[in-house]
Amino acid sequence: MANIAVDSVKDRTFDAIVIGSGASGGWAAKEFTEKGLKTLVLERGRDVVHVKDYPTTNLYPYELEHRGEMTFQDRQLNPIANRCYAYREDSAHFFVKDEEHPYIQDKEFDWLRGYQVGGKSLLWARQTQRWSAYDFEGPARDGFAVDWPIRYNDIAPWYSYVERFVGISGNRDGVATLPDGEFLPAYPLNAAEDHFRKAVDNHYKGRHVISARCAHLSQPQPIHIQQGRVQCQNRTLCQRGCPFGGYFSSNSSTLPWAQKTGNLTLRPFSVVHSILYDKDTGKATGVKIVDTNSKEELEFYAKVIFVNASTLNTNLILLNSTSERFPNGLGNDNGLLGKYVAFHNYTARISAEYDGLLQYKTDGRNPAGGGYIPNFRNVDRQETDFLRGWAAAFGASRQEMRDTNGVGTGLKEGLLTPTLSNWRVHSHMMAETIPKESNQVWLDSDKKDAWGVPMLHISVAYDDSDWQRRQDYYDRMTEMYETAGFTNIQTMDDNRRPGNDIHEMGGVRMGHDPKTSLVNKWHQLHLCKNVYVTDGACMTSTATQNPTLTYMAFTARAVDHAVNELKKGDL
Amino acid sequence: MNRRSAVRTLLYIAGGTLVLPACFHESRKATIALANLSVTEADEALLEELVETLVPATDTAGGKELLLHLFVLKMIDDCHSPEDQQAFTKGLATFSSWSQKELGRSFAEAGIDERTALLGKAPDSGDSNLVQFYGLVKRRTIQGYMNSQYVMTNLVKYELVPGRYNGYFPV
Repeated sequence: MANIAVDSVKDRTFDAIVIGSGASGGWAAKEFTEKGLKTLVLERGRDVVHVKDYPTTNLYPYELEHRGEMTFQDRQLNPIANRCYAYREDSAHFFVKDEEHPYIQDKEFDWLRGYQVGGKSLLWARQTQRWSAYDFEGPARDGFAVDWPIRYNDIAPWYSYVERFVGISGNRDGVATLPDGEFLPAYPLNAAEDHFRKAVDNHYKGRHVISARCAHLSQPQPIHIQQGRVQCQNRTLCQRGCPFGGYFSSNSSTLPWAQKTGNLTLRPFSVVHSILYDKDTGKATGVKIVDTNSKEELEFYAKVIFVNASTLNTNLILLNSTSERFPNGLGNDNGLLGKYVAFHNYTARISAEYDGLLQYKTDGRNPAGGGYIPNFRNVDRQETDFLRGWAAAFGASRQEMRDTNGVGTGLKEGLLTPTLSNWRVHSHMMAETIPKESNQVWLDSDKKDAWGVPMLHISVAYDDSDWQRRQDYYDRMTEMYETAGFTNIQTMDDNRRPGNDIHEMGGVRMGHDPKTSLVNKWHQLHLCKNVYVTDGACMTSTATQNPTLTYMAFTARAVDHAVNELKKGDL
Repeated sequence: MNRRSAVRTLLYIAGGTLVLPACFHESRKATIALANLSVTEADEALLEELVETLVPATDTAGGKELLLHLFVLKMIDDCHSPEDQQAFTKGLATFSSWSQKELGRSFAEAGIDERTALLGKAPDSGDSNLVQFYGLVKRRTIQGYMNSQYVMTNLVKYELVPGRYNGYFPV
């Protein structure tokens, strides 16, 4: 019996454990396995094998039972998921259903989740921008949160490293607030977007309209072909999973790459309950999981543990990792674990029309979505009443207008002989929010989920500065639209709840000082050095960029550090 | 729904409409399974005439051939609130009596021109239930038509794999 027990422990012992298989977990898996470490990736949901498990990927609209629409019953049962733009009949199977995974909203918060191998990397909007020096310096300069313990130069080589493998399309725009990267050819702006770019360039110093940078293979390189991925085919049906691997997901890229090394063990259906801590060594020894099929509790062991469970679940796991030494959660002596959660404010849009350049239209589809306006507010100096700024998406299109007024042959003719509209331009805001201690998550003391894990309380809200930033977006964009000759300018408050941006960040923030932060400049818990946090939970501030690229770069850098520490015997 | 079950449903629907009229009209129920709506065979026949009037067969297929009435029923049954569903069921009856009154005979018996002219008057009928019903049916009929395999492969081609993008395409 003793031997069996020993063997069983041996079978459950790895060099590294990665919790989560989304964008950042997939990168941890790739990096560890490539460096020769036996790596266990734990995923709470089911397996999703690239291509094979994309059941809707090749369906025509008429092959979807409700032509893409969600049923009334589904909308009643899953109001949170249904508020997400990407939750549709062709992608709903990749989203968590509200009832299956409840949480407690002390303030209204849409927590959108993808519990499967690949996580939300199957569903993301694929916009990828580097942070700039200004973003990392922000908290220190403006006196909020804590100083980031890293600067742009620390992460720049890792951005390059990740970009080359992922495949990012973009132009080298030379904009200091949005550093250039290792780019595949950009998806060019269309006629009206390009017109706006020129108008803004001519009229404003420091404001730019660029081609949106995105994780699509506009021109695959050998490294992408080796992954089994080919050129993006402009389907823009990405949330179904892409049979071409045209966009980056863990499923199409990092996980199969890790698999090929022979060093990966991928374990789906594994909900992590907590991280195990040994007070004698001062290190984590492994993790306790619940197998969601057998309901069995199991322990797995490793020298180093990466927590990439997605921002709020990473918070949850650490809060639930209690021990005699850490009664309030792993590494949480300062009581700040779960606090200073922030997000992006997406609550504003502006539309307009443009009557010029009617000799052009678009043909095919643009996977990048159009243009991007990097933040230009409060960059070199504080110039507004509110801190920080906002970025914006920008796009233009001409619609095929179909006359639906008639009846009979008249209606039929109206439907089949469209006329082309003028250019319809649109934009939405992506504003920085300021992390606050009161925006926080914590565990319920009684209520547990189906796997015996305490339920998460979420109390996250906007503040007045969020509405100041929004007004500034309206004012500046309106003025820029007018400069470009756009008409019928309409601003639209979009009263979405925090979380609907799907950019929740923080709770396990980075910092120099163990008294005011949870992880150090290498993403190690200050107080438990063999546990690393490299997903959105480690974010000290939010900047305005879509964050996934940064999590991936953080992860590659942190794995490199962990492996070096292991070699030195320091972990 | 995967392709196989989609095909199966389509065959079932097509088979149902072919076979049922020849049966003994025992069930008096709609030819597709509905979870919420209570629709008789006569209701379904009226809706069929209605969608055919909205989108008639010309040198290209019309509503009847494309089974748009079944699409309308399916969408209202699955994607609408109970209030909308009640308005639909009530509206069908309202439409039946309104058209009888306006035409002096049943909708199905009237000529195509008469029926077309009548539908043109529906939005201004002054009956809020009728207006709501008509708007609902028309919207779903148009959606079913534009998203039908027939239209998407023959008339307004849908490209699953464009493989290109040009932002300066000459009009």
